[in-house]
Amino acid sequence: MTTLLDLRSVSLSSGSNHRLKDITLSIQQGEKVALLGQSGSGKTTLIKVANGTLKPTIGKVLWKGIELNKLKRRQKSEIGTLWQDLKLIKELTVCQNVNAGALGRKNALWALRNIFGLIDNENCRKCLQVACLEEILMNKSISSLSGGQQQRVAIARLVHQQPKIILADEPLSSLDPQIANDILNLLLTKRKNSFYTSPNTCVVSLHRPDLLEGFTRVIGLKSGEIFFDIPIGNLNKTNINKLYL
Amino acid sequence: MKNLFKTRYFVLIFLLILSIFEANKISAKDKLIISAIPDQNPEHLNRMYKILASELADQLKVSVQYKPLTNYPAAVTAFRTKSLDLVWFGGLTGTQARLQSPGSKVIAQRDIDEQFHSVFIANKKSNLPIINDPNDLKILKGRRFTYGSESSTSGRLMPQYYLQKAGVENHHFKRGNAGFSGSHDSTIALVQSGSYEAGALNEQVWKQRLSEGKVNPKNVIVIWRTPSYVDYHWLSQPNLDERFGKGFTAKLKDVLLSFNKSNPRQKEILELFGAESFIPAYDYQYLDIEQIGRKIGKIR
Amino acid sequence: MILNKPVLCILPILAIVPIASNVFYDIHPGGINLLYNFFSSALNPSFESDVLYAVFNGLQDTISIALIGWSVSLFFGISLALITSDIFYILFKVPYSIKKFLKILLSIPRGIHELVWGLLLLQILGLTSWVAILALAIPYSCLNARVFSDQINALDKASLDSLIQIGSGPIQVIITGLWPKIFPVLVSYGGYRLECAIRGATLLGVFGLGGIGTELQLSTQSLQFREVWTSIWVLVISIFCLEKIIERIKDINKIQKNIKHFSVIGLIIISILLVISVIRLGGLNINTSININSITLPSVKSLLIAINNIDLVKLISQTLFISLLATGIAVGIPPIMSMLFPTSIGQDVIAKIYMICRTLPSPLIALLLLLFIYPSLSVASLAIGIQNMGVLGRILKENIDRNDKFIAIAFEKSGASKSSSWLYGKFCQQSNSYLAYSLYRFDIILKETAAIGVVGGAGLGWKLQESLSSFAWEEVLIIVATFISLTMIGESLSGSLEASLNNKKMQSFNPTPNVSN
Repeated sequence: MTTLLDLRSVSLSSGSNHRLKDITLSIQQGEKVALLGQSGSGKTTLIKVANGTLKPTIGKVLWKGIELNKLKRRQKSEIGTLWQDLKLIKELTVCQNVNAGALGRKNALWALRNIFGLIDNENCRKCLQVACLEEILMNKSISSLSGGQQQRVAIARLVHQQPKIILADEPLSSLDPQIANDILNLLLTKRKNSFYTSPNTCVVSLHRPDLLEGFTRVIGLKSGEIFFDIPIGNLNKTNINKLYL
Repeated sequence: MKNLFKTRYFVLIFLLILSIFEANKISAKDKLIISAIPDQNPEHLNRMYKILASELADQLKVSVQYKPLTNYPAAVTAFRTKSLDLVWFGGLTGTQARLQSPGSKVIAQRDIDEQFHSVFIANKKSNLPIINDPNDLKILKGRRFTYGSESSTSGRLMPQYYLQKAGVENHHFKRGNAGFSGSHDSTIALVQSGSYEAGALNEQVWKQRLSEGKVNPKNVIVIWRTPSYVDYHWLSQPNLDERFGKGFTAKLKDVLLSFNKSNPRQKEILELFGAESFIPAYDYQYLDIEQIGRKIGKIR
Repeated sequence: MILNKPVLCILPILAIVPIASNVFYDIHPGGINLLYNFFSSALNPSFESDVLYAVFNGLQDTISIALIGWSVSLFFGISLALITSDIFYILFKVPYSIKKFLKILLSIPRGIHELVWGLLLLQILGLTSWVAILALAIPYSCLNARVFSDQINALDKASLDSLIQIGSGPIQVIITGLWPKIFPVLVSYGGYRLECAIRGATLLGVFGLGGIGTELQLSTQSLQFREVWTSIWVLVISIFCLEKIIERIKDINKIQKNIKHFSVIGLIIISILLVISVIRLGGLNINTSININSITLPSVKSLLIAINNIDLVKLISQTLFISLLATGIAVGIPPIMSMLFPTSIGQDVIAKIYMICRTLPSPLIALLLLLFIYPSLSVASLAIGIQNMGVLGRILKENIDRNDKFIAIAFEKSGASKSSSWLYGKFCQQSNSYLAYSLYRFDIILKETAAIGVVGGAGLGWKLQESLSSFAWEEVLIIVATFISLTMIGESLSGSLEASLNNKKMQSFNPTPNVSN
């Protein structure tokens, strides 16, 4: 087993407000981690620290043994994030958004060509396929899609990024239960086609303690601290009740 | 609130800077305002007219102020609207001004203005030959050619007149029109750099720049010198006698004509003007210029 | 290929192709020496006391002119905005048709560039400080009126209605209901206008109306590059300070608690500055003799003859050609530059370059370009384009700085290069308002061609100067009318273009990015 993500006594505080307190955890390849906790417990902050968008005040975050800020671009693209607000670009089409996932491997000229719509959309098609989106949507604008569809576009973009780990921040919060299930399926089950093999590692933050099927490990966060960090089998009602107390 | 106070300081400093240079701005009762068309570099003009202003003030016993201008038509307009009393005009602008301000008087000109010339200069790389017969100006067709200011007599009017005589219209030049560099110095610079293959300008300025070493004779040569014509002159408002006392205009004229090189200050003035002396000038001398101006369309 | 908004913002850079291919063949080594002199003088400006005195004197004149013109235009801008806004017609029960008439009336002075106003007023008023002041105040008043009345119309009517319902008088409604909402716009847009006024006053100086522009023009024409740079640096530094001050004031404005307080302080400061400016200009002689009689008004017959003599089609097409290419450069280059140099140092350097570009009056840029490029329309476009690039570049940067930076960071952390992150994470969000502003800029550039025609003797601008210097009023009249119609057509075209881009009902777009956000 290889350690992918390694957080070493990470703390993050803004002013006197501690958002994360002394968090140490490592994610091994193949783990599917559910991140539980009330809103404000630090789940989003933890994910942002893990993908490098927030810098911890104390402590280190390593990806495969290298500190995040020393990663090469290609290595950075191995960490994929599904944002709560998706961070899709409204001015661009579905296809262009999906292609934007590949920016970690491509240069600025390619980026420009994509903006102009001059990129072959074969790969995009495959990504949409993985994310269970109809090809027909390819040239639609983002704002014309439903919330669930937008979520899938973000996933398709992630698919195009071909990450080794997926960090997902509340991917289900604004979706109705049926769609939420589908999305979780997309993130957790192994998928493979000629273009893409889904990573078998992910960290998904959830605001509700149901829908835990398919995860292997559960981490409970409370006020910025790890409350519990246990295999899914050890999770019981008491843990959860205490967490949400 | 703290920020607000900081801004107040900013503003105060701003005010301070503005007022520091506030000085000697007294609006006197009646000043003789002199000016000139901006045909030379401003420093030169400034020096020249400051000395002239003090010399005139001393001799005429009125306060004289020099008002610099940057634009030929503005000089004409300012004269028409009576913002200026005595102006050193070129042949064309002076005629325009005189026609627009009836009663204004041509006072004097320099000795060299009676027989003034323009020169056509060319960049050596253009391979333009020296022209002997004015009809040969035809070879300028299809070349890049620039005048100076639109209203310049020596930099535009007379050159265009001779070009027309040789059958060269402005649209015959490369790119469908001649350029207007804006000044004699710019004409030299643009021809010397090669942006224009040839251009026309005031002979006096040309000679001056040549002697100052500002022109490289290896790059630019004179290909033709126009026949002589009358050019610069002093033009005065008709109401000077009413404002400054009877006989003022005549006195002014006498003072200008009396300048000679034995007086040190007058010598300096004359040298800055590039002349030996001022000589009397008359309206009728400019009839040719008027006619040519009408022909070219600069006088309507 | 997809024509989305980001693409529409970048596409104009294609204007570079014709310009570059033209200029490439037209560039020649003859001017290299002069160009070297010019740039090496940048670090070695003249510090002679004469020069410094003249430059500072000129700067003060320019600032005074700008300040007075600007204050007047704010005052009239607000007044005219009130009487062209919907609310006025509700409050005072004035027939609505008057509004339409007023709006059309106001669009005419707006269609004339301040420079053209300056040259025309010079003919009527002669050489007085009034010329430059009025030249700024007239078009700016109308422009302000339009912007402010759009703002007033965009206000929430309900709160005003409730005021009316309580039985407040019209004046009260305006003061208590409108003023607090208009004031912030006034501060941010007004600040921006003051900068425009200083640039405008400088340009007027280039054409002989006094101030630092005059110094700049004179030293450029006689190729005294060290003196040129003294003027440029002084101008750049003062505009820089002004921008900083305005930024400050905008910040304070965010507190927004104390509108009354700020209004009063603002009024006091402006009045102090005004008094100083008026003293500075030697007192404004109200009794300036208006010598309109000395201009013989052209008869219908002479107008007809003149129309026949002027090749309007050629002049108009030249003007349009120049403006289109210039707009292309001005709009297309800033995004590409930011993409090429996305680091913060790169951005800083670019910002400084933009600053110098927008400070230099376009005729000056043209003269410099002419030193090493053969004259052509491309040079004219390049000169206006470079100057406006300085304006648009700054607006783009300001808007992007105001926006959410997180998307770009997210892209960067997922491995995208800095350039790509900038493009996707920052620029795309901004493309809509940038595009709207660019369309508005086209109108301005169209008007500005009046300043640049001298290059290669082309376009309406050149003809205007030629006619003015020949005192051919009928031609002047025709050319000014052409300018007005061109800008009016341009405005309505870009208005409907914008509306069709936004797929909604025509909404007058906002020339201030600050306001549109």
